[in-house]
Amino acid sequence: MLGIALIGFAGFAALCLAMEKHFSDLLGCKPRPQQVRLLRVAGWLLLMLSLVLSVHLRGWGHGLVEWIAVLMAGVTLWVFVLPYQPRLLLGLAAASLVLGPLLAVLAG
Amino acid sequence: MKEGFRQAMAWLHTWTGLIFGWLLFAIFLTGTLSYFKEEINHWSQPEVRRHALDPVNSLGLAQRYLEANAAHAGSWMIRLPNAREAALSVSWRDPEAGRRGFVSKSLDAQTGQPVEARDSRGGEFFYRFHFQLEMPYPFGRWLSTFCAFIMLVGLVTGIITHKKIFKEFFTFRPGKGQRSWLDGHNAIGVLVLPFHLMISYSSLVLFMYMVMPAGILASYSGNTGDYFNELFGRDDPPKAANVATPLVPLPTLYAKVQEQLPGARIGYIQLHNPGDSNAQVTFTQASADNIAYKRSAKWTFDGTNGALLSQGAPESGAMATAFSFAGLHMGNFASPWLRWLYFVFGVAGTAVIGTGLVMWLGKRQLKHAKSEHMPSELRLVEVLNIASMSGLLLAVAGFFWANRLVPVALEGRADWEVNAFFLAWLLSLVHAVLRPGRRAWGEQLALGALAFALLPLVNGLTTGQGLDHSLQVGDWAMAGFDLTALAVGLFLAWAASTMLRAPKPVAKRASRAAKKPTADVVEVG
Repeated sequence: MLGIALIGFAGFAALCLAMEKHFSDLLGCKPRPQQVRLLRVAGWLLLMLSLVLSVHLRGWGHGLVEWIAVLMAGVTLWVFVLPYQPRLLLGLAAASLVLGPLLAVLAG
Repeated sequence: MKEGFRQAMAWLHTWTGLIFGWLLFAIFLTGTLSYFKEEINHWSQPEVRRHALDPVNSLGLAQRYLEANAAHAGSWMIRLPNAREAALSVSWRDPEAGRRGFVSKSLDAQTGQPVEARDSRGGEFFYRFHFQLEMPYPFGRWLSTFCAFIMLVGLVTGIITHKKIFKEFFTFRPGKGQRSWLDGHNAIGVLVLPFHLMISYSSLVLFMYMVMPAGILASYSGNTGDYFNELFGRDDPPKAANVATPLVPLPTLYAKVQEQLPGARIGYIQLHNPGDSNAQVTFTQASADNIAYKRSAKWTFDGTNGALLSQGAPESGAMATAFSFAGLHMGNFASPWLRWLYFVFGVAGTAVIGTGLVMWLGKRQLKHAKSEHMPSELRLVEVLNIASMSGLLLAVAGFFWANRLVPVALEGRADWEVNAFFLAWLLSLVHAVLRPGRRAWGEQLALGALAFALLPLVNGLTTGQGLDHSLQVGDWAMAGFDLTALAVGLFLAWAASTMLRAPKPVAKRASRAAKKPTADVVEVG
């Protein structure tokens, strides 16, 4: 489930960066329109991927419940730690992008 | 029209939130603790030792104990130990003691001997308080159900009032006074919204027989007992034939259940007329096995020859829906990590209510920042805020301290734990009345920090099962409790130090707020 949590976490991070305000706050420059579009699509795809994996690995009942739980936990962590440790979270999101699928594959 | 609607919703959000916020805070906090009911029970009764799970052996021990000590009883109940409950619990109805003669014993899961554990309500106290509020039936349930409804109203009106729900989805700006409180309130509310909605709506589903009883009363001619019997698939127990017949060994019935549903964990076993020729044994699957409550996961055997008599009736669609909400609310199915998330989300719900209460007052205090005295109604809210939040934390700590310090042999000691809870709560109210607001907050939080941080030490000194012991033997429930208490202590110490140290920035903020009121802060309330 950790893999799914990390994929969802990366998804929310991408959706957050897809907002101009957060992008320029976090990365220090204005995003190009393609970047915004790319981040938004990537964010939603990652969320969908985590949902599919969760249901696939844990079945509909547990899969849905646990997916919502880890998503809520991940995004809450992101929002409340972001003002204090933005670099750490960006690093964590990048690492999740690699570790998440890896762990999910190992679990499957 | 649209703005008028939003204003009306903001008004409703503000005032229902204020009036019911104090009680909702207590309901949420005790409910959050209830996710660790069994773990708190374990901490409260450290005499009950944990052993490796062996359901077959436990069943044999329970049967032997009951046959020796409760052969005359008309019915028995056995609860098997599980990953979260160490004790093998047996109970029976004592026919000589009338209708209320219910005897309960905790047996050691390895020896089958009764454990003389200290008398304590443990986690059960917080669980019961969560929906009964220590009030007589049915008033506590009514009130807590109504609070659940108010919570749902608060969530819906909050969503309507929150203009920038998507634009500020990821926004939290700390260190900006009222602005930060509102950001925090909104962010915890929105990000954990699925949990908040599930928990408030499912409370109404759990108590729908109280909220909307008309259908039940009409269909069952006022006899709600029949409704519950049909809903949970309960049959009337068979009459005793008064012909002594030995009871079939329970482990053989356990094996038959495993044939029916391999791997099923058993929650409890109920026996009617044990030792009689009309004996009946019902095995019920542990609620940890399924998300939804399942009335079908139940097997009834003939107690004399072990024949399977019946299995629980399947659920209808509506039933399965309601049972799913019930299961989601109580989270019995949750594995340890999911249980921790349940706990965290429960804390989040509590925090939404707490931040709302703080903001209601903070916003109105700004208007009176320059004057010497606060209007008495604001002072009343301030006192109630302090007593209901930091005071409740002190009350919880008081309960746990009493659990360790009240002599084990004292008559009615379980009641003294509850008294300690309410006494601490009452004293914190008196303290809040006597001390100025910020000082009262700081002092109570500081005391709470000490009370929680020292709990592991008190535990270690009084029971010898402190962290050094529990971590070594891998008693994670005991260690988890102590570590959580320590973490709560540290958090409260941080909160207390900000309250006690910070210079009062209210005046500065007031002038800034007067010049440039932020749209949202003005809008709500």
